[in-house]
Amino acid sequence: MKMDWRALLFWTLISALLVYMTLPAFVVIMASFNPGEVLSFPPKGFSVRWYIKAVTYPDFQIAFRNGIIVAAFASTLALVLGAAVALLVARYKFQGRGLLEAILSAPLIVPHFTTGFGFLLLGAHLDINQTYLIIIIAHVVLVLPFVTRAIHVSLQNVDPNLERAAANLGASPLKSLLRVTVPLMLPGLAGGWLMAAILSLTEFSASLYVTASRTQTLPVAMYNYIREYTDPTIAAISALLIVATTLIMIVANHFLGLRKILAIEPR
Amino acid sequence: MKKLWIALTAAFAAFSASPATSQEKLVVSVWGGNWKDGAAIIGKEFTKRTGMEVEYITGGTLDRLTKAKVARNNPESDVTYTTSHVGYLYQNDGLFEKLDKSKLTNFNDLYSSADRGDYEVGVYSYIYSPVFRTDLMPKGFRIGSWSDLWSPEVKGRLSMPDFDPSHIIIAASKLSSSTPEDWKNGIPLLLKLKPSIKAFYQSDATSQDLFKNGETPVEVMLSINAYHLIGQGVPATIEIPKEGAVVGIGALGINKGTKKLDAAQQFIDIALDPVVQQQICDFHKCSPMNKKTTVSPELAKLPGIFTTEEQWKTQAIVLPDSTYSKLLPIWKAWFTEEMMH
Amino acid sequence: MQTRPLFFALLLPSIVIAAVFLFALAEILQYSFREFIPGSLDVGGFTWANFARINRPIYFYAIVDTFWIALLTSLFTLVMSYPLAYALVRTERNWLRTLLIIAAITPLFTGEIVRTYAWMLLLGTEGMINTLLKSLGIIDTSLTLMYTRLGVVIALVQFAMPVMIILLATAISHVNTDYEKAAANLGASPGRVFWRVTVPLTMPGIIAGFIVICAWTMSAFATPQLIGGGKILMISNVVYLTGFSALNFPFAATMSVVALVSAFGALAVMKAISTRIERGTALHS
Repeated sequence: MKMDWRALLFWTLISALLVYMTLPAFVVIMASFNPGEVLSFPPKGFSVRWYIKAVTYPDFQIAFRNGIIVAAFASTLALVLGAAVALLVARYKFQGRGLLEAILSAPLIVPHFTTGFGFLLLGAHLDINQTYLIIIIAHVVLVLPFVTRAIHVSLQNVDPNLERAAANLGASPLKSLLRVTVPLMLPGLAGGWLMAAILSLTEFSASLYVTASRTQTLPVAMYNYIREYTDPTIAAISALLIVATTLIMIVANHFLGLRKILAIEPR
Repeated sequence: MKKLWIALTAAFAAFSASPATSQEKLVVSVWGGNWKDGAAIIGKEFTKRTGMEVEYITGGTLDRLTKAKVARNNPESDVTYTTSHVGYLYQNDGLFEKLDKSKLTNFNDLYSSADRGDYEVGVYSYIYSPVFRTDLMPKGFRIGSWSDLWSPEVKGRLSMPDFDPSHIIIAASKLSSSTPEDWKNGIPLLLKLKPSIKAFYQSDATSQDLFKNGETPVEVMLSINAYHLIGQGVPATIEIPKEGAVVGIGALGINKGTKKLDAAQQFIDIALDPVVQQQICDFHKCSPMNKKTTVSPELAKLPGIFTTEEQWKTQAIVLPDSTYSKLLPIWKAWFTEEMMH
Repeated sequence: MQTRPLFFALLLPSIVIAAVFLFALAEILQYSFREFIPGSLDVGGFTWANFARINRPIYFYAIVDTFWIALLTSLFTLVMSYPLAYALVRTERNWLRTLLIIAAITPLFTGEIVRTYAWMLLLGTEGMINTLLKSLGIIDTSLTLMYTRLGVVIALVQFAMPVMIILLATAISHVNTDYEKAAANLGASPGRVFWRVTVPLTMPGIIAGFIVICAWTMSAFATPQLIGGGKILMISNVVYLTGFSALNFPFAATMSVVALVSAFGALAVMKAISTRIERGTALHS
């Protein structure tokens, strides 16, 4: 297979860019095995002590649990709401539809720290700042645009004739929705839910404002750790997160097809 | 379907409540890192004597104050370990309970600077002073006076905290023959220092990183952090300039609204016990507040360890907490806008 | 046909969540006009004072810097993402496509903190980049990358690339290759085909990507906070500094309002420019 200089140049460029994109992951994994507190590249030895410290550190354990709870509620809620919004916008025309759409996609433009700060102030008024509730609400608002987009894409792949057929056979709109449309949207729904869960687990800027010491999520706990300790424990926990996320991505790609969810379909 | 909704709503309502509060543990709010380990020394003795476990929630000094204010109606901790002038802000905002001094058995053995009012008591002290890397600075470099920070050898090699500019501002006012209250006389001198500053640190960890990695070989650093790094083998010297070093006092207060008032009082009492004080100070390399504490000769020799009232008078710059806490926001605002830009 | 109940069942939750979000923003707006009482979280009455403070040099430059960093980041991200997106869509080897997707997209989901920390390890004076360059003899003394705008942008570009790649890949995948083949048949070199046919056809995606990354970067927080270290301040850092460090919630709210206005303002400007560009590069059939 002959490769001309243009192709060679192109693939060199691609390789260099891929190195740039994946270098951080590699350096974190490398540092996580550093034997001492002071880092050196390459590490002067090999040790898993930071992994042990990371997994047994109480603040991380509590924060991890908090993150799971918040993500579970937030992503499920966002899925239901996202589906409602996507269906609403796709199937009905009404006054103010554009405005509603704009408001609900605004969190993409509004900085997370602004949304977080706003919810902190709102939460103070409602006195719910020590609870999971305020975090869940904030996360739902933040991940909703992503979920809605994913559901919208999968909804477009559902043939409306199928719903009409169901209606002709006597099914009410709700029934045809639940029995026909939803099952057809399942891959999109699953992908949207997964995306929402991951975004919630890793969300930082807004969470910094709305979490309290007891309810802090993992990213916030990690940020505090970076400000308080100077050892590579963060490298260890980051390495774990990177590996976990990569595995989830590979599995998701295999079963759901990332290209479909991200709408990268060649004609 | 209906059952699902009911279950979901119930679960949702359950999680609208706060996460389970530890009924049987004393919760102490403290700085993270080594500071938490130091607090654990008190905690261990506390658990030994009372059988009650201790839980720690950590964060930066001002972050914790902000979170405490937000959580006013439902305090997250029973006892708060903080810097005394920030403790003043806590008490000013009604966030501390009044201390029952009769329950503090060691109170009369304390240095005068331990008395921080009715709502908090000093447990140990440290200093903020210039520290420099002996291997990265020219041979023979010394810091005999705060004015040495303005010398050409320090240009572009200095760092200091961005969350508390009080030390450099107080130093500049002293060098300008002024008092901290008239700190504005020191402004021209401070502005001349700008070219020397390479970075600001926002936390104990960043302060140590900058120094450890050699990014800023000269630093206005907290003595306890400096001794920690020296203990790890970083070649450094900490000196008390002839004008004195600014003292910080770690103090304990009881959060208002705590349900474990007696336990909290006892925790503070234990913190002032001479044996516990010795353990804390050996660990941190800080100065005890209890006069009866046995301080080892090696420790007593270190700069910043005050074991006599004489040392307190000549080497320590201690401001009253009320003045400090009133001036700090003004200093911070000025510093952020004029020095950090 | 009873469409009404279903319609309202879908409408109500949508409105509720929209309202909740608006309430949060309204709180910020309300606070931005209130007087700051030093040392307290209570606030006084109505005042313009907070907005007047914006033109102090440090805050003003934070605003300017935010725009500047966003612009730089978007430009570099675009230039560096296009090749990857192109390779991702056009390669015929499935393993390569999967590799590119995983490698390019996964960083997006690991979160701000993990990625910023990784760059801290890379950019420091004793960090991996400096260690590597010194051991290869390319440099003698360490490059100063931490606490500089350059370091912040390097990290931000790497953060932004996954998003840009997704958006560009979508656009590239929708290009009808017949046009490219036609141009080639008419004698155009591959380079010409690329610049005169492919790129213009993907212009909507390019513009969308640029706008998204610009808005996204303007709201960056952890990266300038940890890598900028107090020397590089973006609006997000000022909000945190004045809100949490100085307890000045009103001014923090004011800067948040500035962030909002900046984001939407920049969006509007870019949309206006993009409509012009799209008209210029659209295919006229």
